[in-house]
Amino acid sequence: MTEHPTTAPAPKKGGGGRFFVGLVGVTLVVTYLIWTGVTETMVYYLTPTELMARVQEDPTFREMGVKVSGQLVKGSWQRIGPNHHRFEITDLEDPQSVVTIEYADGLPDTFNDQADVEVVAEGRLRDDGVFEATLVLTKCGSRYEAAPEDLAG
Amino acid sequence: MGVMLGALMLILGVVLFLLLPILRGEWAGMARSKGELTDAEARKRAALKALRDVEYDYHTGKLDDADYSDLKTALSRDALHAMKRADQAEQAESGEVASAHSGSAATTGDDDLEAEIERARAGLRAGRACGNCGELNVEGSRFCVTCGATLASEAAQA
Amino acid sequence: MTLLGEIALWVALPVALWGTVLSFVGGRQDRGDLVLSGERAVHAVFALLLVVSAGIIAAFLGDRFEYWYVASYSNRDLDTYYKISGLWAGQRGSLVFWALLLSLFSSITVFGNRFKNREFMPYVTGTLLAISSFFLIVLLFANVNPFERLDFLPADGQGLNPQLQNYWMTIHPPTLYLGFTAFTVPFAFAISALLTGRLDARWLVLTRRWILLSWFFLTNGIVFGMRWAYEELGWGGYWFWDPVENASLLPWLTATAFLHSIQIQENRGMLKVWNMGLVTLTFLLTVFATFLTRSGLIESVHTFAQELTIAVIFLTFMGLLTIICTVLIVWRWPLLKTENQIQSFVSRESAFLFNNLIFLGAAFTVLWGTLLPLITEGLMGEKIAVGPPFFNRVNIPIGLALLALMGIGPVIAWRRASTRNLRKNFLFPMLFGIGVFAAFAVAGSRQWMALTTFGLSAFVLAIVFVEFWKGTRARARIEGEGAARAFYHLVARNRRRWGGYIVHVGVVMIFTAFAGEAFDDEITQTVNPGDQILISSPFGHDYTLEYQGVSTTLRTGNMAWQAMAFLTVSKNGRPVGTMTSEKRMYFTWEAPVTEVGILSSPLEDLYVIFEDAEDLAGAVQNEAGSQQVTLEVQVNPLVGWIWYGGLIMTIGSLIAIWPSRGSIPATSVAHVEPEPAAAAV
Repeated sequence: MTEHPTTAPAPKKGGGGRFFVGLVGVTLVVTYLIWTGVTETMVYYLTPTELMARVQEDPTFREMGVKVSGQLVKGSWQRIGPNHHRFEITDLEDPQSVVTIEYADGLPDTFNDQADVEVVAEGRLRDDGVFEATLVLTKCGSRYEAAPEDLAG
Repeated sequence: MGVMLGALMLILGVVLFLLLPILRGEWAGMARSKGELTDAEARKRAALKALRDVEYDYHTGKLDDADYSDLKTALSRDALHAMKRADQAEQAESGEVASAHSGSAATTGDDDLEAEIERARAGLRAGRACGNCGELNVEGSRFCVTCGATLASEAAQA
Repeated sequence: MTLLGEIALWVALPVALWGTVLSFVGGRQDRGDLVLSGERAVHAVFALLLVVSAGIIAAFLGDRFEYWYVASYSNRDLDTYYKISGLWAGQRGSLVFWALLLSLFSSITVFGNRFKNREFMPYVTGTLLAISSFFLIVLLFANVNPFERLDFLPADGQGLNPQLQNYWMTIHPPTLYLGFTAFTVPFAFAISALLTGRLDARWLVLTRRWILLSWFFLTNGIVFGMRWAYEELGWGGYWFWDPVENASLLPWLTATAFLHSIQIQENRGMLKVWNMGLVTLTFLLTVFATFLTRSGLIESVHTFAQELTIAVIFLTFMGLLTIICTVLIVWRWPLLKTENQIQSFVSRESAFLFNNLIFLGAAFTVLWGTLLPLITEGLMGEKIAVGPPFFNRVNIPIGLALLALMGIGPVIAWRRASTRNLRKNFLFPMLFGIGVFAAFAVAGSRQWMALTTFGLSAFVLAIVFVEFWKGTRARARIEGEGAARAFYHLVARNRRRWGGYIVHVGVVMIFTAFAGEAFDDEITQTVNPGDQILISSPFGHDYTLEYQGVSTTLRTGNMAWQAMAFLTVSKNGRPVGTMTSEKRMYFTWEAPVTEVGILSSPLEDLYVIFEDAEDLAGAVQNEAGSQQVTLEVQVNPLVGWIWYGGLIMTIGSLIAIWPSRGSIPATSVAHVEPEPAAAAV
């Protein structure tokens, strides 16, 4: 059934290189942008255990901006001033490893220390061992869903 | 109970719906129907549209004379080539002699090329070339014979 | 009804598989009867999925909490509106909804082409049904069956997250899904073109409207999502470069590139292989986005592991598709040879090519930034994150380049632009753009990126304006029409072009709004009743917000309490109204939810967030001593231009989609002919 497929007229000579020049040029620029973008804006994304380990290894690590994420400890949320909060997170895999976080801005609505909430905080570890956060997020996405056990309650 | 019945009817209905064409030998159309868009036709329209756009660009002062004539030559050649192929395809399909409005498709040669291009351009300006599908219509037509759009000719004559 | 829906889901899969096989076999063997059966399978699958969807909605409306999906996304007191939209509230229902929309579009395609394009259709039908089959397989076998039952009956459901109970959030997923699924049709035509070898100008012409339609929905879907984020997530921002957002942006970027590159193929017969690659890539990205938006896959290897079944199935599907498409393209390579070459970098072809390369570059950076945490964790064991600073840093230069191209593309000549052409068409707009840039710089601003955006925006607007002006004037002169009529006919005769220009104007407005963010301001203040917050906008408007107090209503609607922080607002000394920001406690949610207050004007938004209360419990009881609150007030300049720009993009794309009368010749009346089996030989 397949009819004789149509053939295209013969291509004109020369100039095909321009396509590749453009392609290479844009690729180089984009690679450069990504490279500098990553190296200049990346932050380490650590668990509390990793954060503590890094700081012990290398005390100057405190100066780096990092992201630390972990499970919010239930009942650990305290209000220490107008719009100033303190709470604790533990490592998902090692509940012994705890980091205390202070945050001087509004917490996201999904922040709830009565439920199982995972928190991501970006900031610096202070000398007194408290993590001073410039940004606090909670993991949502699929967390809009519930496990069957929760429904029985 | 009601659900089971409903489900059974659903399944039965679907199965019948799917099998009947095969059982009764009903066929969907498999071949191209007459007058359907062909490759040649699509190219012809694209070429004539490009030519029309060049005319438009020139009339709105975006192209000066030198650019205009360069582009016009190149595009007219493309347009003519496309029109010839379209006519050939049409002839092959219908077996008829090309009707009047296809013009000089049968002849070749530079004189005819010039004449054809002149006709195309004149057609565009006089409103015989349809602004919608690019078809060159018989002079005095008010509606395009191919796509039915109103031709500009009546407005131009006003 | 729900049980019937569950049965229908099981019936739909064999029907879809039947149709897939029969369509491909019938096409290959020239058996019109098999092809007809395959086409009927498309309609049957649509009907069955309607039953499935009705079954799910019935379960929601009937409070059937024995179904896990209903219990997870609904509760007795939920608004009926949200119960119905529960169909797409979560992953499982979303997959059904996706399959439903795909089957709808498949049905429309098959019905609309029953008398034409018959050479393409068997393979189009087969491809569409194959993809439907895949989604049905996922629904039935990947642990995501929406009809899964719990082994107990909860007294009530969990309820819907209050943040999702927002108008924009109910229309945002369906709109995006309409965009994703609509793109399957061009993909199916592309596969059909590859299989049949009909790689000429036709398959693009036939699918042009579907591509535009898909793009239309994608654009709207993304803008609705931004509106939801702005209103509901409460930070005054509308885009966070979050993996889910990025996933929906990726196909939009490649689809926009595709919209442009098909014009090159139409006009100059170039980029044929490129277009095949783009349509495949865009389709893969829509599948990727569908799969990503309702699962936590990207966040970490942990969540990945939890959802392993569905992850493996989707990745296998995408891998398989990639291999098949690559093989097909390589096989048909000789027929995809380019007919022309780029003759000059200074030409419209070149502008379109750069447009494409840059869009693909943007898509690549977004993909890279989104996957980086997973990649580094997988490869190096150490996780690195990049956030908005990375994405903004990389995408701003890219956006500026695209902005420039939006001005250059429409006006630069095909093949090779002469210096005359360049000078004639670009001099005035460039001067205008530079002038705008300089004006802002002279006024004291040092926000170079924003200024460049303004300058380029002015450049593009000047070019578009001049196009419309010259076009209308020329037409009015030639046709002897008045300006308004001339304008109308100008646009009507070439809707793609002028609709496209209008879309560009919308894009310019949105980019300008993005640049406006550079001039925003915010202040956080702890206030007692009577205290004032002062904030100014870059347009010279001075706002005074006077905090009046917190007023709480108890037990209202589905809320245990609703605490409203009340402010009166004056602009430049004149009272303009009141604003509230609230904390709400829904019965079905454990923590209070914040609702921001927004006062919009054409040039800027005033945005108030009730951050914190000194004594929230007391405030809820309306106690006089508990009125101290912390409020954040923002001025967001030009943010309204995102919504206006989105609306203009919608109008422009509708103009471009709108069919002109008789744009394809009327087809002859070929009907279904009974043909004896013997004649098939």
